[in-house]
Amino acid sequence: MKDLTGCRRKRGGIYTTQINIVQSLNKTLDMLMADDERVVLLGEDIGRDGGVFRVTDNLLNKYGEERVIDTPLSELGIVGMATGMGMHGLKPIAEIQFQDFIFPAFDQIVNNMSKIRYRTGGRFSVPVIIRTPYGGGVKGGLYHSQSGESYFAHTAGLTVVTPSNAYDARGLLVSAYKKNDPVIFMEPKRLYRAVKSEVPDSLFEVEIGKAAKLKEGDDVSIITYGSTVPTVLNAVEKNGVNADVLDLRTLLPLDVSAIVQTAKKTGRVVIVHEAPKTLGIGAEISALIAERAIDSLLSPIFRVTGYDIPFPYSHEELYLPDERRIMRAVKKALSY
Amino acid sequence: MAVVGNLSNEQIISAYKTAIRARTLDLKITSSQRQGIIGFHVPNEGQEMIQIAIGMLAEKDDLIFNYYRDLALLLQRGVPVSLIFDQLLGNGNDLQKGRQMPDHFSFREFNFSTVQSPVGAHLPLAVGAAYSMKYNKKKGITIATFGDGATSTSDFHAALNLASVFNLSVLFVCENNGWAISLPVSKQTKAEIFNKAAAYGMPGKRVDGNDLISSLAGLEEAFSYVRSGKGPYLVEATTYRIGPHSTSDDPKKYRIDEITDGSDEDPIKRLENLMLKMGVIDHNFIQSTKAQAKEEMDKTLEERENVSPVPPESIFEDVYERPYWMQEEERRDLYDSD
Repeated sequence: MKDLTGCRRKRGGIYTTQINIVQSLNKTLDMLMADDERVVLLGEDIGRDGGVFRVTDNLLNKYGEERVIDTPLSELGIVGMATGMGMHGLKPIAEIQFQDFIFPAFDQIVNNMSKIRYRTGGRFSVPVIIRTPYGGGVKGGLYHSQSGESYFAHTAGLTVVTPSNAYDARGLLVSAYKKNDPVIFMEPKRLYRAVKSEVPDSLFEVEIGKAAKLKEGDDVSIITYGSTVPTVLNAVEKNGVNADVLDLRTLLPLDVSAIVQTAKKTGRVVIVHEAPKTLGIGAEISALIAERAIDSLLSPIFRVTGYDIPFPYSHEELYLPDERRIMRAVKKALSY
Repeated sequence: MAVVGNLSNEQIISAYKTAIRARTLDLKITSSQRQGIIGFHVPNEGQEMIQIAIGMLAEKDDLIFNYYRDLALLLQRGVPVSLIFDQLLGNGNDLQKGRQMPDHFSFREFNFSTVQSPVGAHLPLAVGAAYSMKYNKKKGITIATFGDGATSTSDFHAALNLASVFNLSVLFVCENNGWAISLPVSKQTKAEIFNKAAAYGMPGKRVDGNDLISSLAGLEEAFSYVRSGKGPYLVEATTYRIGPHSTSDDPKKYRIDEITDGSDEDPIKRLENLMLKMGVIDHNFIQSTKAQAKEEMDKTLEERENVSPVPPESIFEDVYERPYWMQEEERRDLYDSD
């Protein structure tokens, strides 16, 4: 296929460009900063270096160091500072270089950022976005590969989203920007440059809390999100599975009606995510289906996930849900 | 703003009155906790002078990120006792809707931020607020208070480093009362707290936080340094926690009290003795001030106890600007019949 990256096209009166997730996020940040002076970026190596994944490339040159802030190496400092900025009139978009490094800031996220609206009776709010790349498949070993969404999805006051493509990356970032509450914006780093989609050049929203039906099918439902979405799509296409494929896009709050609707439609559910199985998002999805649609089930719910081990370096491919494991679960569900 | 050199009698008298009100309020809260009226308290006894000095030097536009032991600072800045009791009782008039345990105040109208339990975690927020004020070219500085225990946290380190790197107008005041629950400051750190400033490239100094005049004199320089935009400043105010860490704590297990309520070393007594010597007040004045304070606290608590409770369903509000389906569903669950 011809690489259309950067080519601007007009579709139905709207200009679109074929871009990857990094390009989409970069342009979105650029447009938000151009539109709104309250938007400031902060994080490690996001200015001079443009971010280790280049998501903030060239924004320092354009907006200056007051708005694109290279911070000292302190994740809790970044999150705490962003929280104070958000409480006092700014719209900070912070970057934590790798989600694996977010844990020094965990207290700030769980005990300050997410609770300030509640604990002040709604008199302060914290309109902050924390962007952070997550997931494996880039030979990053233990500390550049983790998928920690469950830690955040377990915390009231947070909103957790993860796009699987460049279109949703822009739409979800714009929706996160419009919220007056903290959002954990998780970016599947394996997909940063792996998938391209046609994205309108303008700012648009993808509603938070709404899953996307990527494929309509009748035999089995596959519920997934983020880094495993392309793997699932490839598997069902290659094997001709008549699957209903749901990309959750938001992990807190989950789109309970879309989850229940697809479970009731096919009666067979496979959940695919890269994060470890135990107490992963899949466990919550299973519980929601058990509570609301158990009578419709024709087979047990199966989960295809990362293993309950630290993320390995050698053999990382064994950790990641792949076509073989997905198809094995699909076949089990179909033949039950 | 007070200037030590020409501190008026009125200013000293007013500070004394605040100190007496703060002490009386503090003891009233503790006794109410013992009676089961208030759930919990972190006594403020002994730390009044440094807090009043901060309050005297702070301007209206300054943002204050205080900690849970700053009762006299609240009073000095004009927070009504009724609102303080509303928070302590968690009643229907509490600005925070009964969401926080006692002493975790937030008085936005008086430019107080919001108090959390994890020690030191507000310090990076103060830095962010200062960044925001600078960015928006707003008047005022940011003041953060904290105890000696907080100086061991990563938050303290992060905040002082960030404030310094970005040259922000933050005045850090450590109220070193000697104890972090049961740990003496000698076991908290081997360094002098004010000396830690040097590690961040900012000035630091120690003041006698148990003496109003020394506190004011010491703080004045720090305030004017920060106000002039030169960057952050660390002040260590040595003081003493006369009471227990909290109403759940028994200090007899781990220390012998060095300063007791009403003794000659008690900071309020020190001010009182000075004022008596200067002839600014007499014993009648002391008695009537204490009586007035007692009447104020007794009457206000009695009145606030009659305020209606927070409506139960409000526990589901303010999690987000607009609730998600989980909060909606769980709120309905609260009233579902069995």
